[in-house]
Amino acid sequence: MGLKRDVSLKDFLRYKGKGPMLTFILHRIGGLGMVTFVGLHVLASFVGGRVGPAINLIYENWIFQIVVFFCVLFHVINGLRIVILDLWPKLIEHQREAIWLEWMIFLPVYGMAVYVIVNTALGG
Amino acid sequence: MEVTLKIFRYNPETDKKPSYKSYKLDANEMDRVLDLLEKVKGYQDGTLSFRRSCAHGICGSDAMRINGMNRLACKTLIRDVGTRVTVEPILGLPVLKDLIVDMEPFFDNFRSVKPWFITADPEPEKERYQSPEARARFDDTTKCILCACCTTSCPSFWGSEKYVGPAAIVAAHRFIFDDRDQAAAERLQILNEATGVHRCHTIFNCTMACPREIQITKAIGEVKMAISTGILD
Ligand code: FES
Repeated sequence: MGLKRDVSLKDFLRYKGKGPMLTFILHRIGGLGMVTFVGLHVLASFVGGRVGPAINLIYENWIFQIVVFFCVLFHVINGLRIVILDLWPKLIEHQREAIWLEWMIFLPVYGMAVYVIVNTALGG
Repeated sequence: MEVTLKIFRYNPETDKKPSYKSYKLDANEMDRVLDLLEKVKGYQDGTLSFRRSCAHGICGSDAMRINGMNRLACKTLIRDVGTRVTVEPILGLPVLKDLIVDMEPFFDNFRSVKPWFITADPEPEKERYQSPEARARFDDTTKCILCACCTTSCPSFWGSEKYVGPAAIVAAHRFIFDDRDQAAAERLQILNEATGVHRCHTIFNCTMACPREIQITKAIGEVKMAISTGILD
């Protein structure tokens, strides 16, 4: 008898898939982040009393907004890259460049958004 | 230079759990990881088990995780991985002993896509002619050596061994786009099932891991396209 084939989360995260695997993991985290955000939003509208406004306070918090914006923006840009590559398989040969391009679009847009969120939060 | 090899060890007859054992060796930067495994087995610990055959990147038997990434031990130079090297079995297949995994689930998936030439045409007197352009269409996917580096680097395969995996799709691609073969529709149907190409999330681990540098994700993308459009472009 050998060991079972199961791959643990630790093994999963330890695999060195480099840039492409990082985008895959961030895409999943982004998706989960958005589900959490929408879930909290829906929950806040249904729950009355003090709990609803308390939940509102969480997702209106600027730190939470920075995280949520990361999730949404990364999910969108990465998703777009994958859709484009899936629709035009010939472009897949340039996947490395596609990932660089993705970061080149993501980082300035996200950076600007974080600047605006922080500036607004700190009363700028 | 001194190299430390940290190797995954598991003996089903004596161990309940796997463990890691380190071996120090005198090595040259142009040595391959396979050379060092041979040295360990030959001079330090004869119980170490791993597969190898050709030692030249042709047979595909020595796929393993080297410093966390799937590679062939016979094609990996110490110069490229440093002096502290961790060697573990590939993921997603049952470990039988040390670095040896049970490849049967992998080959079951491979066989499921009918990776052989199918035609109803009568056998010609000589060979079946094909234009250089038609041959070039599937040239990339003829290079596969079935080492399983791609399939066992794929998170979708880690999640379910029912997913046929990149290597099986590469094998199917080789025949689907061969204009002498007549079973493309049958293979596309197999790959259109829930265990087929739609489990690929375009992650690229397979392409990164392939020791033959096959554009695996591209091949999978072309099969996905052929399924959606019904056109073998
Ligand atoms: S031993 Fe044959 S491929 Fe490495």
